[in-house]
Parts: sequence; C-alpha cells; structure tokens
Amino acid sequence: MRRRGLRILIVLLLCLLLSGCWDYIEIEALEFVFGLGVDQVEPEYVVVLEMVKTSGGGQQPQVEAKVLATRGQSVSSAASALSNPAGLRAFWPHAYVFLISEQVAKDGILPAVEHIIRSRHVRSTIWVFVTKECTAEEVFKSKPPVANSVSEHLNAIVLMQESIAGFIPLQIWELNKAFTAEGIAPVLPTVKLVHEQGDLMPIVEGTAVFKGDRMVGWLDGQESDLLCLLKGINQRAYYVIHTKVGEEGFYPITYELVGNQIKIEPVAKGGKISISISLTMQFGIEEVGAAPISFRDEQMVHSVEDQLATAFTRRLRDFLQKTHREYNVDVIGLGQLIKRKQPQVWRSLRENWQDHLKDLQVDLDVQCRVVVSGVAAEPIAVRD
Amino acid sequence: MFFWKQKSRDTTQPKGSDSLSPSLAANLQKLQGEIFANDETIVYRRFKTKKPRALDCALVYADNMVKHEYLSLSVLRPMMQAEVPGSVRGRQLAHYFAEQVIYSDDSQFVASYSDIGDRIMEGVAVILVDGCSLGIVVDAKGWAKRAVTEPPTESVVRGPRQGFSEDLGVNISMVRLKIASPHFKTRFLSVGTQSKTRVAIMYLENVTSMALVEEVQRRIEQIKIDAVLDSGYIQELIQDAPFSPFPTIGQTERPDVVAAKILEGRVAVLVDGSPFALTMPYLLVEAFQANEDYYNHWIIASFHRLVRYISFFITTSTPALYIALISYHPQLIPTNLVVSIAAARKNTPFPGIVEVVGMGLVFEILREGGVRLPRPIGQAISIVGAIVLGDAAVSASLISAPMIIVVGITGVAGFVVPTLNDISVLMRLFFVLLAAVLGLYGFVLGAIAIGLLLSSMESFGVPYLSTMTTLVPQDVKDTLLRVPWWQMVLRPRFIAAKDRQRLTRSDGSKAT
Repeated sequence: MRRRGLRILIVLLLCLLLSGCWDYIEIEALEFVFGLGVDQVEPEYVVVLEMVKTSGGGQQPQVEAKVLATRGQSVSSAASALSNPAGLRAFWPHAYVFLISEQVAKDGILPAVEHIIRSRHVRSTIWVFVTKECTAEEVFKSKPPVANSVSEHLNAIVLMQESIAGFIPLQIWELNKAFTAEGIAPVLPTVKLVHEQGDLMPIVEGTAVFKGDRMVGWLDGQESDLLCLLKGINQRAYYVIHTKVGEEGFYPITYELVGNQIKIEPVAKGGKISISISLTMQFGIEEVGAAPISFRDEQMVHSVEDQLATAFTRRLRDFLQKTHREYNVDVIGLGQLIKRKQPQVWRSLRENWQDHLKDLQVDLDVQCRVVVSGVAAEPIAVRD
Repeated sequence: MFFWKQKSRDTTQPKGSDSLSPSLAANLQKLQGEIFANDETIVYRRFKTKKPRALDCALVYADNMVKHEYLSLSVLRPMMQAEVPGSVRGRQLAHYFAEQVIYSDDSQFVASYSDIGDRIMEGVAVILVDGCSLGIVVDAKGWAKRAVTEPPTESVVRGPRQGFSEDLGVNISMVRLKIASPHFKTRFLSVGTQSKTRVAIMYLENVTSMALVEEVQRRIEQIKIDAVLDSGYIQELIQDAPFSPFPTIGQTERPDVVAAKILEGRVAVLVDGSPFALTMPYLLVEAFQANEDYYNHWIIASFHRLVRYISFFITTSTPALYIALISYHPQLIPTNLVVSIAAARKNTPFPGIVEVVGMGLVFEILREGGVRLPRPIGQAISIVGAIVLGDAAVSASLISAPMIIVVGITGVAGFVVPTLNDISVLMRLFFVLLAAVLGLYGFVLGAIAIGLLLSSMESFGVPYLSTMTTLVPQDVKDTLLRVPWWQMVLRPRFIAAKDRQRLTRSDGSKAT
C-alpha cells in the first residue's frame, strides 16, 4: 500500500517536471512593444514598431525607446522580422497604441487592423489612431516633451481625454464592434505633428470619419467636441464664444462645459422619419476678460444663455450638414437608434440609409445654463 | 512540596530485602556500597542525640541540592539536643522525631532503599536512626534557580512580564495564581526511565472535556523514553499529525497565555526543566492570535491581527508570485513596473528561480547565524548581510535589485507570525518550485494542496481549521478580527465541552 502511494507520487512528480517549463521566459530577454504602426499596405506592408530598450542592470537600469521599421508580406510577418535582428522576443501585451497612416486609412484599414483584432498577444484595449498629414514612422520618431516614448505620451493624452477634449479615443475592440454594427460609422481619433521649439511633437486632435473601412474625411477638434456632445460623452471642453454683453458690444468669453445631457428620439410621421434631438448643457464661466458682466443680474445671465443656445444650434447644424450631406456618414449612430427604437421603420430604411441620411430632417432643441461663475460674481472693477 | 505526599505515604510498607534494616550500620553500608556506590556527591553526616540515650543517627543527602543552613538549624540542632525517652523504640522513633523534634513543614517516611535512592536524587534529605527501620524524609530542596523574567521569545508591549522558568513548582504556582478556582486541577505523571521527569497536566474541571484530559494522560503515559529534557520531546511524541510541519500542539513561555488557553477549555502540560508549556488542542487560528490582542483595544488588536494574516500570505507567497509573474505572466505586471524589472534584470547572470532560491537560502543562513551566535556577533552578521550581500551583490550585477526587495519583505513579514515562521520557509520553497515549473497555475495548485492538508488535520479530535471555516457569529468572533470582550460571550464551541458561558452581560441576557 505504501509502495503504491510512493509510485503514484513519483508519477505525478514526473508529469510535473518532464512536461518542462513550457512558456517559461526570462523577462530580460523580452523586448516590450509599446506601439505599432502600419504605414503602407499595397504592394507590401510597411510596419513600424516602437519598442523599449532596457539596459544597465545593477544599480543604474536604463530604459529608452527605439523605433524600427520594416517591410513584409503581412503585419505579423513584418513585426516578427523586426524582433529577429534584436535577438530578443517581441512582447505584445503591453502595447499601448496602434497607428494607421492616412494613406492606409484612405485605402481601407481592414488589412491593417485584422491581425491586431485576431492576435491573442495584443490586448483588445489597445488605442487606435489615424495619423494626419504624416506617417506612423514619423510620429514614432518625433519627440514627446515629457514621456520616454511616443506611445506612453499618446496613452497619457488619451487617459486625460475628459479634460483635454478635441478627440474621442477608441480601443480596438470598439472599432471591431463599429465595423460590424449597423447604422453607425466608425470614427477614429487622429494624431498629428506640431512644431514645438524645433522639435516635432505628436498631439491628438480631431477625428477621422470612415465609411466602411475607408476614411472619407476629417473633423477638427471643435467638431470632435460637437460629436462628443451628440454621442452623449461628457467632456470638460472649453469654448470661446463672442457674447454680446448688454448694449456694450461683443466680448470673447470662455465657457467651460461642466455637464451635458442628450435625448435623441426618432419620430415617424407619415412614412417619413425625422430625428428630434434635445440637448441640455451646463456651463461654468472660466474667463470673461474685460467684459462688464455681472452674474447677479438675472436678465444678463438669461441673455448669455440664449446666445449660447443659438451659437450651439448653429454649430450643430453645420456639423450635421457636413457629416450627413458632405461625407454622407452616420457618425452619431442615428441608424442604430432607429433600429433599436423603431425596428419596422428601420427595415424599410436600411437598404438606402445613406441616401436617407442626406435629407434626414433633424430637429434641434438646445438648452444652455450657466451654473458656475468661478469665485467672482461681479466683474473686477479697476479704479484709478 | 505538595505533590508527592500521597505517593510516598503508600511506600511506607516495605517489601522483601529492599526494606530498611533496623541497624544503622547495615543501612549505611547498603546505601554506600550498593545504591550510591561510587557516587561521591552523597553526604553521610553521622551524629548522636543528647545523652543519656545517645542514639546513632545519620543525615543523608546529595550535596548542593539542599539548603545547608536549614538542615543545620532546623534538623541537626534540635535532634542533637533531643533527649529521647527510653520508652520510644523501633519505628516509633521515626514518628517521635518527626512529630516532636524536627522543625520542618514537610516530613515523611521511607521504608525501602530504592525509595531513599529516588528521593535523595530529587534533592531531599533522609534521616536514619539506629534501631529504626523507617527513614525520615525532610524536604530541604534548594538549588540555583533562574529568576522569573520576561520571556525573550514572547515579549509584549502591554501585558504581564512574567515568564515560566525551569522549575515545575514555580511554574504551576504562576498559573494557579491566575486561576484561583477549586475547579483548576493538576495531575502529575513521571516520564523517562532515567530522567524521571515530572510532568503536570492542568485543566479546568468544569469546562474541559474529561475525555480530552484522559486522552492527553493516556498519550503521555504511553511514552517509553529514557529521558525528557524539554517539553519538545513530549510535543513530538504525542502530536496528531507527525508528518505535517504544522503544529498541532501549542507552546508558550507565558503563564497568562497558558491561563487563557485553560480558561477556554484546553489542557496544558508543563514539564519540569522546561520553560515551555504545551497546550492542546491547538488550531491554526491560534498561530495568528497574540496575547496582546486581548489586552489592547479591540479595534487596534483586530488591525494587528489582519496584518498578521496579510504578512503570512506575503511571507509564503511573494517569491512564488514574483517568479510566476516574471517568468510566465509578464503581461499581468503593470507596464512601468515590468519595464523597470526587466531593466534591473539586464546583465544579471542567473535566472529568476536561481535568484529566488539562492537569496532565500542566504537569508536563512544569516538568520540561523544570528540566532545561534552570541548577541554582539549576531549584529555583525546582520551588517554583513545588509551591506555585503544586499548592496554589493546588486552593484556587482550578481543579483537584480527587485530580488533584494522581494527577499527583504518576505523575510521581515515572516517574523510577524513567529509560530509559523519555520513552516513558512518550507511553504515558500514549495510554492516557489511549483511556480517555477507551472507559473501561477502551479502556485494555485500548491495553495490547494496546502488547503487540503490543513483541512484534513486534527488536533486531539478537533478539526485543525475549525472556527476558520464557519460562519456562525460566535465562532468567528476571534478569528480574522478580535471582537470586543462584551461580544465574546461564549467559549469556543469545539474546545469548551461543558460550560460555554464565558461572560454574562450586565442585563443578565445570555447571547447565543
């Protein structure tokens, strides 16, 4: 009996040990990929990797980013070719960002993103960007002001999105969902390079608008903020709006958006569908400059609120005109909304939704309220 | 002292040739020539009583084990000055001296040579009188004893500063002072064919299960060993799971701890010559309880107890988790951390598993060195450990810096739960080996194995994990947290067999 127990123990131990340490890796033999970019798809893939080079050991460990670019038959083959000469293994799970160049975006991004969606090594939470007026390689080789690598820089910007505004971040799984969903067009944030004291610095601003997997146009930072409003995303955006104060004239006043609620309802009337949007926004006063505006004066506040509502109604109209008529894409996902709320109506619309979109009637009702004025209710009275 | 009166009274009936002869010369010859032959520490002091009837007497004792002044003044002087009436003869002589001459609070009689041999080895003095076949035993024990001091292994910030010493009688009195109840009982046993070590079993009659007391006594009586030099012998010989490294018998140097355990319905065993008392049954949860928990504010005590549980997890698991994460799952480490670990490990020659096992061994060597060496040299050891092995090894790129942190936190956390410190070293190694082969999967397998082992163990019939695996409010009150005293109304369910009520609330209500 005792012998048998011993035998079983030995067999179990051998099973454990002889199977070997599959998947065993030494952490210092890994090359951590922080960012991946695709610059070209036809005729050959051009793939860029931003990796982290660790060195030193002992008491002075050092970390620096390096950028490698290569060509290959596919994204994965090019990427694996890149880690070969380094003699190290590329380690994907810590990748932050995935950049798609403008050219690839125009030709269709599916061949570029397919590997990233499929791969079990890349996280589905990787941020996706489109580079505007530059290539991914140029972005990776630019110089972020604080972070060690471009990828960390972009990641830090994205995590601050709520207070930076000007773009809508998107992870690869959301892109995948937007590809397959009906009645909503995918949008991706854009990265561009700006000159900063002789160096090129990457910033995230604006949005790339897609029809299917092809990019059809850009939205700038302000338009992206409007898209945020329409999608019901909360953002602390700043708006400088020339406001008429009393009879004195117009002054640029900076408003901070502190809250926004939106309600979108499809209204079917006589076989025709229209959309009713009611948007409520709360603002704080950030800066009035020299404007002689008193927030104790109720009439004055109402006048400001009315002017804000008018300004936003006009901007939203322009925005809808641009996206629905000019680009002819449903960035807000109105089709999806109709499908959810009025499935019968959607059945008749889905075939020619893009045609319907062109002359879709949208009723806007914008309500603005000024709720905070900072710590000063009165203008600063400067006396001699 | 008070505990062998009964035994020796029974032995006043001599048997065969072992019994004392009326002739003093014959008795002394037997003792000197046979029982204590070649033993030069035995003193035979011959003297006579006062004339006219000058009886030949002898005082026999082992040198340096008696109070010499006491013997001279309270035994020798009155006996030398006694005028023994002529009518007192034979065995009456012994009774006459004991009752009317000797100033002693404890005197008994012996009638056989073997008894004299045993008793003199205990440190008493025996008086033999010519013409009397009974010896008078005078308790004059006196030898160098260690003072009652605070035990070094279990020092407290708040609480009694008493610790057990090596003297069984003193130790028993310290516990007795804390439980002044007639229900507090002590039984005596003798273990060891050569050492004849006295062992005391203590319990509270109205709380403890008698079956438990009988079981403890049965197990101790079954021990057939030549000598018992410390309670550790008995602990190892009577414990339930001899192959499991987890203790199923508690040990402590503190009378207050022993009293608390007895009051909960446990049995305590004290061994003469050992300052460590044994308590049983012993549950895993007791390793995380400290006596100070019950003296401090309950919120603070509960916090400290949580720290102990966390520390036990840290000390057993950190190296294994570190190995599993860096060797199998770097994706689970936050990005900044994984990069800095990778950078720190660059150019270090050994794989992670070798570093972990090697540094763990170095830590244990330093610890063992520190424990065994005299205190001043022990400090030198810690300096060598900290500077040479820690700092220099990192500077020379022999060991990666994160490894030093892992070993450091592991080692320090181990001291938080001293009872399980030795076991946690083994558990750590076990987990590290599994994690090195199978990653987190191996670690979890190991944890399951330990869990199975613990839940299969028993201590004197009580499941080892009881109170840790239940949700009954009165049972969990003293496990993860130490609830306030007014809530600990009942004694532990699995320990206290009879009277479970520990505390009655001021309104008289009895909680359940």
